[in-house]
Amino acid sequence: MAQRKFSSAAAGVVAAVVIAAVWMLSSLATGTAELGAASQMARRNPTGAPQLVAMERLPEMDGAMCQWMLANVETTLMASLQQGAPAGRASSGTAAEIPGDRPPARVIRDTYPNFSAVAVDFNRNEVYLQDENLFGIKVYDRTTNTPPSAAFSEPKRNITGLLTKLEFNCGLYVDQKSGEIYSVANDTVDTMVIFPRDADGNVLPARELSTPHGTFGIAVDEDRQELFLTVQHEQAVVVYHKMAKGDDKLLRRLEGPKTRLADPHGIALDPENGLMFISNHGSYNDRQKVGTGKFYPPSITVYRIDAQGDTAPLRIIEGSKTQLDWPATMAYDPAKKEIYLANDADNSVLVFGAEDSGNVAPRRVIKGSRTGIKNPTGIYLDPKNQELWVASMGNHSATVYRMDASGNTPPVRTIRSAPADKQALAIGNPGGVAYDSKRQEILVPN
Amino acid sequence: MAHPQIAAFPRLGIENTPPSRLIFGQKTLLGRTMHDIRYDEKNDEFLVTNPFAQAILVFPGGADGNAPPLRYIQGPKTLLAGAVYSGLDRVEVDNVNDEIIVGVSGQIMFFPRTAQGDVAPLRTIKSDHPQFRIGQTTAVDAIHNLVVVGGTLASANTGTTSRAAILGGGGAIAIFDRTASGLVKPKAVIGGPKTEIVRINQMAIHAPKGWIVATQPGAGGEQEPENTFVGIWSINDNGDVPPRWKLGGPKSTLLKPRGVTLDAKNKEIIVADMRTNAILTFYFPEIF
Repeated sequence: MAQRKFSSAAAGVVAAVVIAAVWMLSSLATGTAELGAASQMARRNPTGAPQLVAMERLPEMDGAMCQWMLANVETTLMASLQQGAPAGRASSGTAAEIPGDRPPARVIRDTYPNFSAVAVDFNRNEVYLQDENLFGIKVYDRTTNTPPSAAFSEPKRNITGLLTKLEFNCGLYVDQKSGEIYSVANDTVDTMVIFPRDADGNVLPARELSTPHGTFGIAVDEDRQELFLTVQHEQAVVVYHKMAKGDDKLLRRLEGPKTRLADPHGIALDPENGLMFISNHGSYNDRQKVGTGKFYPPSITVYRIDAQGDTAPLRIIEGSKTQLDWPATMAYDPAKKEIYLANDADNSVLVFGAEDSGNVAPRRVIKGSRTGIKNPTGIYLDPKNQELWVASMGNHSATVYRMDASGNTPPVRTIRSAPADKQALAIGNPGGVAYDSKRQEILVPN
Repeated sequence: MAHPQIAAFPRLGIENTPPSRLIFGQKTLLGRTMHDIRYDEKNDEFLVTNPFAQAILVFPGGADGNAPPLRYIQGPKTLLAGAVYSGLDRVEVDNVNDEIIVGVSGQIMFFPRTAQGDVAPLRTIKSDHPQFRIGQTTAVDAIHNLVVVGGTLASANTGTTSRAAILGGGGAIAIFDRTASGLVKPKAVIGGPKTEIVRINQMAIHAPKGWIVATQPGAGGEQEPENTFVGIWSINDNGDVPPRWKLGGPKSTLLKPRGVTLDAKNKEIIVADMRTNAILTFYFPEIF
């Protein structure tokens, strides 16, 4: 309502200015002869340009003066009048009268999509990429390869908009049979959304499931039709029926100090051997009890796939040899019995044996300047095409490797959503901001 | 947020300006849900919390990369809670009186600024107000010796916090004597329909003129809630009073402002908008 009132007032002012301008222009046409006569009367010759007629010195200014304003900053009359308003009033103003709206002088933001997760529909040869910056799911052909000279690749479909409920979307799962796309929300909406294969644009999800706050990783046991989610805020793994929707209750929950779950992120399943793998950043508290916070080393904890309650892991992969550094999404290769892990803060992908335990080195590491991996948070295995996909939040890209890649290996393909020279800002859910006056820098935490 | 980090951008940065430095990685002890950050100009340090680990982290001002904090507060004596409902996603520093301030578990807690490890709070403030419940956001005014805290107004009839307040209605700001301790009556409570406060996120104070600058991101759980703004009240305001200024509306392009800080030298208000993942700087000379 306030905006409408302001718009009406502004329209009135604009109309008045236009009327005055029209009157002046029409007056000018008819008044030239009169002005010429008046100038001759004042002993001046008409020149068609302004002339000095008289001069009077203005009094010296003293006291308050208007603030200097940046040329590109608008202000309202009311805002100007409010300068230096004294404290301690009991205002009776209404919301519509409160000044303050103005355009920003500057905006820092990343205008390009930035990928947090990846999943492949290898039957349809399409790849889904979670855009956690602009909020959406971008769909490309699986074999898309952005040429080095191209600014970026356009997606063939883009699921985005308020109806989709996509916001801080961080996890993806594609049902290879139905083609349904499962999207996990990391914050704010506390809702997992499921879209049909052909979803495009600002569309309602086919199904929604209310979830705990702060879900991150997703995995599905298709044999048992169970859906697993990691929950950062509750240091837990929750399990639902795969087709759960609305406020359906979960089937079981793994949670508690014995579990060693500590800011759990990625999850991978080995249904054949009945195992569940969880990656943990390490920040821990005991179900929010006061004063129980601690920092554990980063780890991969391994459980029976049906573990629930406060159950200790079967084994833990952790220690300096592991190279774990903010371990994020994981994937399991049943053929070689290997776990793939996006190692966010180390700009690497680590591959462990599924039976590894303790302080062990990864079997393979994909890392280095030629890999194109920077802050990887998403990973996906495509067994049909024997390809490994990595979503990097540090450089607007998803990169593809052979599953047996190792070392400083360049990707076989890259999908880029921004020019190659554009560094991803990776601002995400900025809940606070600080100004470092010494360095003239703005500090932005995610 | 899939990738936690603290990014430092040049003040004059614009769209796609790369960060001048990034702080992230295992050694930093950072986690997601850092809903506050404060720069201590006097000591050239910045502070954030890690709610999952129930810790307050202090970094050197020039921290860069995978660097550990200078010190952190954590442990049973601290009485720190955090993660979902208890808070500790916000923090404030008082470099005049050398204190760190947090709103946790319905109370304001004060720690020595240089505290390290498992340290008990110096004092706590609990609200002796029939309706106001202390939330998580705090801001200090060392000139007028005040601590300002965001919170909720419970129903006057039942004394319980309304569902609307829990979901993001009935938000309020309370002002306490900074040096008080125990069960304390607030000096003022700014709340009610005219304030348009649904909930309060990060706050900043311009102490020389006594302005409280508070983000009002609207109802929780909504992607683009209505009537979001950065509100500016006086430390002398009390009751159901509208903000003196309301930085918000179509010109501002703000959708969900959650973070705010002040650059007094350049007369600017800097706002973090979580819906657009953007940092917006507004020239706002009126309050400086």
